[in-house]
Order: sequence, then C-alpha cells, then structure tokens
Amino acid sequence: MSTPTQGRLVLLGINHNTAPIEVRERLAIPAERLADATRTLLHQPGIREGLILSTCNRVELLTLQDDAEATSPQAKTDLLRFLHEYFAVPPHDIQPHLYEFREREAVRHLFRVASSLDSMVVGEPQILGQVKEAYTIARDAGAVSTHLEALLQRTFTVAKKIRTETQIGSSSVSIASVAVDLARKIFGSLYGKTVLLVGAGKMSELAARHLIQQGASSILVANRTQSRAEKIAENFSSLTVHTEAIPFESLYEQADRADIVITSTGAPQKIFGHSHGQHFLHRRRNRPMFFIDIAVPRDVDPRMNEVEGCFVYDIDDLQQVAAANLADRSREAAAAENIVSREVDKYQERLQSRDAVPAIKALQQQAEQLRLTELARSQSKLADLTPQQRQAVEALTRSLTAKLLHPQLTALRESTRAKDPE
Amino acid sequence: MSLLWLRVAVSLYGIAALAVLPAALYDRPRWRHIAIPATVAAVFFHFVSLAEMLNAAHHRLPVDTHETQSFLGLLLSLSFLLVYTRYRTVSLGIFLLPICFLLGLVPAFHPGEESTTFPILHTGWIFLHVALLLAAYAALLLSLLASLLYLIQERRLKRKFPTISWLPPLETTDQIALKALLLGLPCMTAGLLIGSLIAQETIGASYFRDPKILLAFAMWLVYVAMIHIRRISGLRGRRAVYLSSFVFLIVLAVWAANQFSSVHRFTAP
Repeated sequence: MSTPTQGRLVLLGINHNTAPIEVRERLAIPAERLADATRTLLHQPGIREGLILSTCNRVELLTLQDDAEATSPQAKTDLLRFLHEYFAVPPHDIQPHLYEFREREAVRHLFRVASSLDSMVVGEPQILGQVKEAYTIARDAGAVSTHLEALLQRTFTVAKKIRTETQIGSSSVSIASVAVDLARKIFGSLYGKTVLLVGAGKMSELAARHLIQQGASSILVANRTQSRAEKIAENFSSLTVHTEAIPFESLYEQADRADIVITSTGAPQKIFGHSHGQHFLHRRRNRPMFFIDIAVPRDVDPRMNEVEGCFVYDIDDLQQVAAANLADRSREAAAAENIVSREVDKYQERLQSRDAVPAIKALQQQAEQLRLTELARSQSKLADLTPQQRQAVEALTRSLTAKLLHPQLTALRESTRAKDPE
Repeated sequence: MSLLWLRVAVSLYGIAALAVLPAALYDRPRWRHIAIPATVAAVFFHFVSLAEMLNAAHHRLPVDTHETQSFLGLLLSLSFLLVYTRYRTVSLGIFLLPICFLLGLVPAFHPGEESTTFPILHTGWIFLHVALLLAAYAALLLSLLASLLYLIQERRLKRKFPTISWLPPLETTDQIALKALLLGLPCMTAGLLIGSLIAQETIGASYFRDPKILLAFAMWLVYVAMIHIRRISGLRGRRAVYLSSFVFLIVLAVWAANQFSSVHRFTAP
C-alpha cells in the first residue's frame, strides 16, 4: 500500500555572517513584495511549500520539496535560479555567500533563527516577530500547509520557551536601553517621571525618547542657546508629553524638578558638581535623582555619585553595563542552544512517528479484517455459545492479534527512525 | 489534628521558600507559579491549624511562645502575599518565607506545654491586643527587610554594577518600607491602648511601673519618632536601615522582657 511521502525540507539563505551588506541589500525583499515572491517561489519545480524570511540581516528560503527533487543536485540550482531571476543578481555573485541546510539541520537553523541565537545581537526580540510576519504572508499566499505549518508552530513554541526559560533577552545591550533599564532599577515605573535634557545630541534625544516610551511624562530642555532648547522641545511635542524649554541661567533652580537628567553639552568644564547634588537632593527631600552623562568631556562631577540618592552614570559606565549584559546573553545562549537541540530531537521523533502512521494503520486494518473473517468462518461452530462466552472469544482473538502485531509494529517504528537521513 | 495542618503548612512554606529562590534570583516565572500558590495554601492550612489549636486549648489566643511564633509567621506570610499582590515582586520572599518556615517548624514538631490560668484571657479584647502588636512587629520586620534590600540595590547602583535583576527598584522597596511602618503604627498604638485599658481595669496602676511595660511605651515613642523622621526628611538608604534596626532591637527587647516581667506573665508550665 503506497502513501504520499512527506517531502524534504531544504533551507537556503544568506545572512550577516556569510554576506556583506552589498550582497544582502540586493536580495532584500520589501514587505509589500514578499507575498508575490513567495508565490513565485512556490511555482518552482518540485516545491510543495515555501516561506521567505527577509530582514536587514538575512534572506532565507525555507522550502518543502518533493523527495526526488530534493535529493537531486538540481535542487540548489533551482532555488539559485529563483534568486537570480527574481532579483536579477548573477548566480556567481550569490553562490559564495549561500548556506544550505537540509531536514534536521534546517529545523535546527530555523529554531535558532527564531530564538535569536543566530542574530547579530543575540537575544534581540524583533526576529521572532519577523518570522511570524513571514509565516502570515506565506500562509495567506497559500504557500504553507501541513508540514511547514507544524514546523513553524513548533518554532514559535521553542522561541517562546527559550524566552521564558533563559534570560537571553532580559538585559539591554544598547546605551539608550541600558539608561532606561537603570532608570527602572531606581524608579520602578517611569510613569509621571520628569526628564531634563541639558545640551543637545542624538544619543541624549534617543535616550529621552526611550524614557518617554516607558512612561516618562515631562521633558524639560536646557541649552545655552534658548532658541535651540525650544527647537529640541518642539521635537518632542508630537509625543504625548509635557515639554518645556527652561532658560540655562535658571538650570540650577529648576534641575531638581527632574528625576532623570541627561547631559550632553560638550562644555569644557563640569556643569554639575558635588554640591549641586546635595542641594538638589535637599530640595527633593532625598527623592533619588539619576544623572546620565553622555558628554565627553563629562558634564557631571563623578563625585556627585557619592551623594546619597544621586546616581551618576557616564558614557563609559553605560558601555560597561552594556558589555556585561552582552556577556550575560552569551552565557544564556549556551543554555538556549541546549534547549534547541532537545527540541530538534523531539520534533524529529514526532515527525518520524507521523511517517510510520499510515503503514501502521494499514497493518492494523489488515489484521482486524483477518480476525473478523476467521470469526465469521467459525460462526456455525460458535453458535451454541452464551453471550458471555462470545465476548470472551472476541476478547481472546483481539488480544492474540494485538500480541502478534506488537513486534511488527515496533520494528516498523524503529525502521522509520533508522531511515532518518540525518 | 491542628498539628497535622501546621505540619502541612510548614512543609508548604518550605516548598515556597525553595521555589522563590529561582523565581526571584533567576526571574523564572515557572517557579513563581509554584512559590505563590504554595504560600497561599500554606497560609490557609496555617490559619486552620491555629484556629483549631486555640479553640482546642479553650483560650482562643496565642499564649505560649510557640503559638505566638506561629501566629507571627502567619502574619509575615500574609504580608509577603500582600506585597506580591501590590508590587508583583517576590524578592522579599527570599527572606520572609524561610522565616515563616522556621517560625512554624518548632511549634509543628515540639508543641508548647504552657497553659494559661488568667481568666480574662477569654475575652476578645486580649486577642486583639496580642494580634495587633504582633501585626506591628510583622510590619516592622517587613520594613526592615525592605530597607535592607533598598540598601543593597543602592550600593550596587552606586558601584556601577547593576546587572543583578532580582532586587526590586529603589522606589518600590522604599514604598514597601514606609507603608509597612505606616500600617504598623495604628496596630501598635491600638494594641498598646487596649492592653493598657485591660491592665488598668484588672491590675491597677502598679502594672505601669513594670520594666516590660515601660519598655513597650518607649518602643511606641521611638516608632512614632522614626516614622516622623522618615516622612519629614525623606530618610532613605543607610540611615533608614540604621533607624529601623534600632527600633527592631527595641522590639526584640520588649519581646524578651516577657521573661523578666512580674506582671506581664500569663502562662503556667
């Protein structure tokens, strides 16, 4: 009895490790063209299901191919031809950067990608959303059905498991997000907090925006040039926060209104000294203040950190925290890799059991048919039996059939496992 | 039967105390899902055990040291659950749950033999007196622990080594410390007031010359002074911990003074 085969999983792609940006940008597919590209991929010979993942760091084609197609050396060439035709990029420009994974290794790679273990910044959270988006587009384009559906659902579960069971994504690794993290360690919730920006700079504005996203409700801006302060304040006015440009001359009278002070003036002398810290804390009745000094030379005297309730972090401190967090992530990545390995094994086992199911069912049906035929043939000889005796005979024949079948079914399951191409 | 429930409660405190370690130190939500239900169940069994125990002893209030310890443990576990409900932090459980476990352990396996002969102990007022003062002690211990956590977190942030994530934010620990004190004050005031009224009625003025009683009033004064200082000056960090520790030492002295008091002893071996 023949059953349709499951097909073979083939993954082809380039990423930030294998290809420079010049190559990646030529293959990048904008979101609005992804559905069309997926449909075109599906029309390639031998491809049953497919999905395209295109981010700024990777372009990957995940395909389920017919057995004959996948085992032929032509398989890779077909996918290469698709890339060449769709992007008009010569194959020799792409080929040196391509990697290919099949079956078990393709599953492992997909689990690693979705769990952010293959990302440029390990543990970054965006990649899972991008994989989910690629899945939605492929499903809507009719390119994902049973096999890839099961694989992708498992992928999402594994990625979520890694997020909850390890701390791979729990620490911040960028300067702005480290600043937000520190503010949260001091203030808990940032709702209703006031941020004072002293001076101007892209990084300080970015940090302020991060703080607003976390709930900070007021932005005060102080600059030696009042018009510049007003312009910076205006930049934040589109966000739902209270903004105010304060005169630089009244900085020391007003700074204690702020819970978080971000300085980036580039002034040659320190703007805030130890005594300022004491003065601010006294006026705030010891409520803590957080100084983020991203200016070089520094704007805040580091001795201010000695004032109880004042926390001063300069750019080096922030970078050190970011580096420590990155090291933590690497440690957590090792734990995450173990989870991926276990999950790949589990997935493969499940897949193999599924492969054996049609044959097992056929065998069981055949045995049941034989049992019923034999019982029917002996019908006349069993006519005198009481209902209880009939039930006993039924049970006996069932039990015999099951016991006779058991070694064959076990052998079938094991042979399916042994056929694993890995 | 009450001992059985207490042993169940103590076992559950033990489980919760172990589960809270990975839940807080490594931020593992799965362990939090064990620690919190285990504490809730422990509180339930502890309450049932205490109610049965007091009812069976016919005095309906904690008299001997073990009963008092057990009751304090119950209040501390309740305070842990309250803090969790309000601030979603389990960090205090690292300290509170083992304390609850230890406070319940001795009464669960070596129940006290003491009994009371004092007739007025059957009144509900005495129960209120004991319960309110124990609640005040629990609030003070909670405040002290929160202040300690504040100090540790502050030190780490000052030393630019903030990667430890299990410590609650400074503002959270500060709020827990202050709110616990504010909750403890009316408990202590009402507890002392009720005790004084009963003593005045039954023993008379000589009661108030006992060192234990005088120390108890000194404790109340220091407690009020501490809250006043914290509220007025916004005292936080190291100095707040010193102040809380000082008051806590006085509380311990008041507790220990029971052994030496001539008028505030109601148990017979």
